[in-house]
Amino acid sequence: MEVKPEEKAEIEEPEIEYVSYGGEHHLPLIMNLVDQELSEPYSIFTYRYFVYLWPQLSFLAFHKGKCVGTVVCKMGEHRNTFRGYIAMLVVIKPYRGRGIATELVTRSIRMMMESGCEEVTLEAEVTNKGALALYGRLGFIRAKRLFHYYLNGVDAFRLKLLFPPPRQVL
Amino acid sequence: MADKPVYEEASIDGQPSKLASIPASDTTVWADASPLLQAACAGLRDGELIHGDNFNLFAAMSALEIMDPKMDSGIVCTYYSIDEAIENGAAPIPISLDSTIDVCRTIDIMDHLLACEAAWHKGHSLAQTVFSCIYLLRLDRTAPHALLHSYCRIIRATCKAVVSVVSDARTHEEEDLFTLTYGLPLNGDGDDKCLSILNAVEETISRQLRACKATSSKRRLPEDLEPLQSNPNLEEGFCKALLCRLRFRKHFFHVLSCMKRPQGRGLESARKHIASCLTELESILKSADFLRSCFDESCEGDIDDKTTASGFEPIGFDAMLNSRLSAPTPPRAIKILSWKKAVEYFVKLLHDLDVICSYSLDPHLESLLRFVVQFQKSQPDLVARSHLQLLLVQDGKLYGRDPFFAVINKAAALPEATKNHDIQKNESFLQLGMLVMNLLKILCTNAAWQRRKLGKFLQDWRVIYVQLELAFRNEYGEVSSSSNDENTCMKIFQHILLWVEEQTFWIAFRFLILGFELELYSTGEYCMVYWYLYAVLIKLAEKTHLMMAVSHDTAKRKGKKKKDSPKDLARESRIPPAVLFLQCYICLAEGLTMMLAALRNEIPVFHGPSPFNTEHEKFVQHFELLQRACIPDHVSYLSYKESTTHARFSTLAMYNYFKDAQRIAKEVKSSFSNDPERLAELRKLEQVAEHNSVAQNVICRLGALDPSLKVSFEFSHHPFFATVVVKRS
Repeated sequence: MEVKPEEKAEIEEPEIEYVSYGGEHHLPLIMNLVDQELSEPYSIFTYRYFVYLWPQLSFLAFHKGKCVGTVVCKMGEHRNTFRGYIAMLVVIKPYRGRGIATELVTRSIRMMMESGCEEVTLEAEVTNKGALALYGRLGFIRAKRLFHYYLNGVDAFRLKLLFPPPRQVL
Repeated sequence: MADKPVYEEASIDGQPSKLASIPASDTTVWADASPLLQAACAGLRDGELIHGDNFNLFAAMSALEIMDPKMDSGIVCTYYSIDEAIENGAAPIPISLDSTIDVCRTIDIMDHLLACEAAWHKGHSLAQTVFSCIYLLRLDRTAPHALLHSYCRIIRATCKAVVSVVSDARTHEEEDLFTLTYGLPLNGDGDDKCLSILNAVEETISRQLRACKATSSKRRLPEDLEPLQSNPNLEEGFCKALLCRLRFRKHFFHVLSCMKRPQGRGLESARKHIASCLTELESILKSADFLRSCFDESCEGDIDDKTTASGFEPIGFDAMLNSRLSAPTPPRAIKILSWKKAVEYFVKLLHDLDVICSYSLDPHLESLLRFVVQFQKSQPDLVARSHLQLLLVQDGKLYGRDPFFAVINKAAALPEATKNHDIQKNESFLQLGMLVMNLLKILCTNAAWQRRKLGKFLQDWRVIYVQLELAFRNEYGEVSSSSNDENTCMKIFQHILLWVEEQTFWIAFRFLILGFELELYSTGEYCMVYWYLYAVLIKLAEKTHLMMAVSHDTAKRKGKKKKDSPKDLARESRIPPAVLFLQCYICLAEGLTMMLAALRNEIPVFHGPSPFNTEHEKFVQHFELLQRACIPDHVSYLSYKESTTHARFSTLAMYNYFKDAQRIAKEVKSSFSNDPERLAELRKLEQVAEHNSVAQNVICRLGALDPSLKVSFEFSHHPFFATVVVKRS
């Protein structure tokens, strides 16, 4: 049977391997994925900024040795809150709709939570229904609407996830 | 210093390269840096970075890759400079030696400029739009071409006027790009005479039009007029096409000038010019058929995408020439609006401006606020909104005419005499005046920006209330005075305190409902939003009712009647229609809250849990600004849970709030027979109430039993009260 490129790749769930950013050898994989899918002009320094300072927050998804998805994040102090930020999230087309993006983001958010973040934030196009549904299921709210945020005139939502206060250990 | 470009000879393969370049001078020399760069490439290993005092990883993110077209704004596309472009014939004068083609191309330039102007208004930089026109960048050289020259002049003067209006409004919304004009030649000597220059050209073409009409009817010509162009069959069509374009520019410039006049003195004249603009735009649209059929060759591609009526590409434009001037944006190619869409934009802009010019400058703040809210429903763009803001707030007064204390005085139902009271010099009252002024400015911004500002604004209104209350208690706390002036002061305080509360709840209400318009709430959050809306509306209705009672007292005291007739007493005890209107809202909010709560409590899959947080965190986030300002008091996540935790289908069946809403809406319609907007809204509220009432009955009867029932929420009838839709999946 002929498989067209648009059709979903046939995979079994356990076949996706999730790996934490491990070094410079992962950088070209991340860059290629992001360059392919997103239109923002990022230089290599932008990637290095994220993965060098917060390697534990970036993850890659592999299927049979091929990198099919990645998430790149940072965290830091912002106006008296310790906050995580999701900078880039990409899964290549044939692998979408299988929860890979959710898994990548979940791992990163968990790491942020364990590192003491109080909240997590990101921007997404108001037309990006997939992203909005994904983050909505994880507990993000649409905190603000940013008018004409993108150069093509599209608005953005600022999405925010507030963690519950840490449980008191008795 | 050499004034001609020097052509570099050397290159890698020995072939002379023909790149024009910056000439070397007495103190500068060109040197080949290739070997240095080669060596540098090998100087760092993968992953290494030069560290400096001001150069770390974060700073490195701003690095540009030279020659990357996405990042390098200095990258040369066709011409290095405007002069080079002109020298290479990119903007010829005349455009063509064939007068027919010259006229045709001139019209193309006019059309493309209109499309550029619309693209600029919509949010792109001036440099990449209107000032991508080489003729405009070197306007003086167009002097021999009267038509082009006069048109460019008025464009320049118009852009300057529009920049001035938007700058003065100073809303600093997201689209700061609009007022960026550095390096652009916006100020021209003699641009104040642009109208007379344009009029002269218009007059000439009018005469030519009369002349060619006289020729066609075979009447003798009194003058010996030179025709516009060489093809007598096309003369009339070209004259008409040009005239409507010139007249549109003339009238549009007049609109801007009239609207600029202080205290709204020019609004009536502006309306006349707006009407003329719209007429000319219609003629411009009609001219497209003629312009497309002028020549035998037809243009390629979809005519609807073109930026000119004729469909041909305009001569004399290069958006990349200004790329270094249009920083900080990266050199992204922007899409200029199509000519058709540009005309549509201007039609809408003119209609929005007409609404502003028709406004009666009502001194009653409440009416003004409703006018602004209504105006915003048509989603006017930045230029229209800036004009509205400048009309409302000038020289620190309402309409440049009414001091804000007087406005507040009237809004707070105080007697006319108190508007000049000395108490207005009190710091708190001065600040209150500023708050009202800022409120009006905020209400003129785009919805996304507006909501953020309103949220932060709540704190300011809360603080002013506390300040005023403190001042009031300090002055009049324990002593009951009999002095007239002290009684007046007390009355001013009391009325204004009540009015401030009402305004604060109105702002909170607006903040909440804008969330629906901006699609900030997901379905799972509707329950808490309607619950909070209900809480705010209860307080708003309470304060509005009190305010009206107090206003009635003031009116009575002014009135001539000494005794109340039975009719008056009856009228007094009835709830005022404005309050009933709010009660309709309250019933709908309550109904939706309880229905959503029941759905959530009875059907677990309706709102699944999220792995990282709970409803409590979402509540805190959505209502943080309201909670911080204690609006309303004693409202918390706990009280929300208490109100909704016991909702079930069985409890829902016991009371139908939607039926109440329906009844109130029906009853109160007659009181708003002179208010078409509120009447229209009442009809919508009735529809929502009716649909939701039915839906509630279905859910109560079948909800728990039929798992195939799907409940969804649409804003098909009303912008912020959802219509509940029940379907079988």
